[in-house]
Amino acid sequence: MSSIKKIVAILLLISVFISCEKDDICASETGTTPKLILRFYDISDQEETKAVPNLLVYGVNDLSDRVLFDHIGLTASNTDSIAIPLRTDFNLTRFAVHQDFEGDDFESGNIDIITVNYEREEVYVSRACGYKDIFNNLTLNLETDFDNWVINSEILNTTVNNETTAHVKIFH
Amino acid sequence: MLRYSISTLFIMLICSMTLAQNDTTPADSIKYAQKYGLRLGGDVSKLARSFLDDDYSGSEINGDYRLSKDLYIAGEIGFEEFTTSNDFLNSTANGSYFKGGVDYNMYQNWFGMENMIYAGFRVGASTFKQTINSYTLYQTNQSWPQTTINSGQEFSGLNAIWGELLIGIKAEVLNNIYFGINAQLKGRVTEKEPSNFENIYIPGFGRTYDSGKFGIGFGYNISYLIPLYKKDQ
Repeated sequence: MSSIKKIVAILLLISVFISCEKDDICASETGTTPKLILRFYDISDQEETKAVPNLLVYGVNDLSDRVLFDHIGLTASNTDSIAIPLRTDFNLTRFAVHQDFEGDDFESGNIDIITVNYEREEVYVSRACGYKDIFNNLTLNLETDFDNWVINSEILNTTVNNETTAHVKIFH
Repeated sequence: MLRYSISTLFIMLICSMTLAQNDTTPADSIKYAQKYGLRLGGDVSKLARSFLDDDYSGSEINGDYRLSKDLYIAGEIGFEEFTTSNDFLNSTANGSYFKGGVDYNMYQNWFGMENMIYAGFRVGASTFKQTINSYTLYQTNQSWPQTTINSGQEFSGLNAIWGELLIGIKAEVLNNIYFGINAQLKGRVTEKEPSNFENIYIPGFGRTYDSGKFGIGFGYNISYLIPLYKKDQ
């Protein structure tokens, strides 16, 4: 009978082990839909990153309303790179890069509008996370206004499928 | 919760039979002719779950045939349909399966009784399809509208083959009527997976796990023995 006890013990252990698996929760470190990473560089010394004073980045929707990216928030500190969520319902995303943003005044500073175009591809991740989008054939367009602070841009990687390195260089 | 109460019940049954076993005294020289035949039954838990769980329907017919005192050929055939869903993915698996193998009785019965505590092995095979009902693209930042797609995409012609170790009890509760509980530990050998998706649930195998090729299952059977002949042992 001791063999039965052993089998019971093994089965119990395995069922406890399997029950404790976190298969049904999408872990935060899982690579899901990647964000677009912009890195800001100095136009006069193009190898050097250059922080943007009081940068705020937010989305611009179809009605030209502001869509605040909650986890990016209102940033008051200098930064030289930022990650932007791309739309999964359209093949383009419009967003504003707002330099010298003061307090909560959207009229302050200098706003430039950038549109990125891409093709979406749905990729299976796991039972808990389901599907993610990756973005192919990325192109970028700066809307000209009377006072652009963004001078130039360069796409480093036309495929956005991870968040490990920058996809776009912005020169200013 | 159900899973825990089931395994607790199972362990208690095993333990009580084990304790009873220890009191056994050797049978004397009176011969008792044991029944040999074909035992056919069904899985009552799958039937009950079909009524209680909207996401599940399934049934299983099982049978075994006694070869010798302790050895049985055993097999199961059944179908299952199960919908797995969470906030981001909803899919349905639907198909049938067959399992075949042997059971070995490890229980030394009291005089005149024909119960089993057994260990067994099965080879299982399933053919099935999976349908993605809907999915929501997973984004860590949800500032933009979430995109939910009611896909309906179907992946048919899927299959899987697995091996299965099981332990269980069969107790004769009325003349020729047996009630059985068993637990199964399974490991997939091969499977045909859909492209850009995976086998979330395999009929007969059960749900799959991200960590590997193993799975578990339980069965609750009521079966009837068609006695064909009697033999001393």
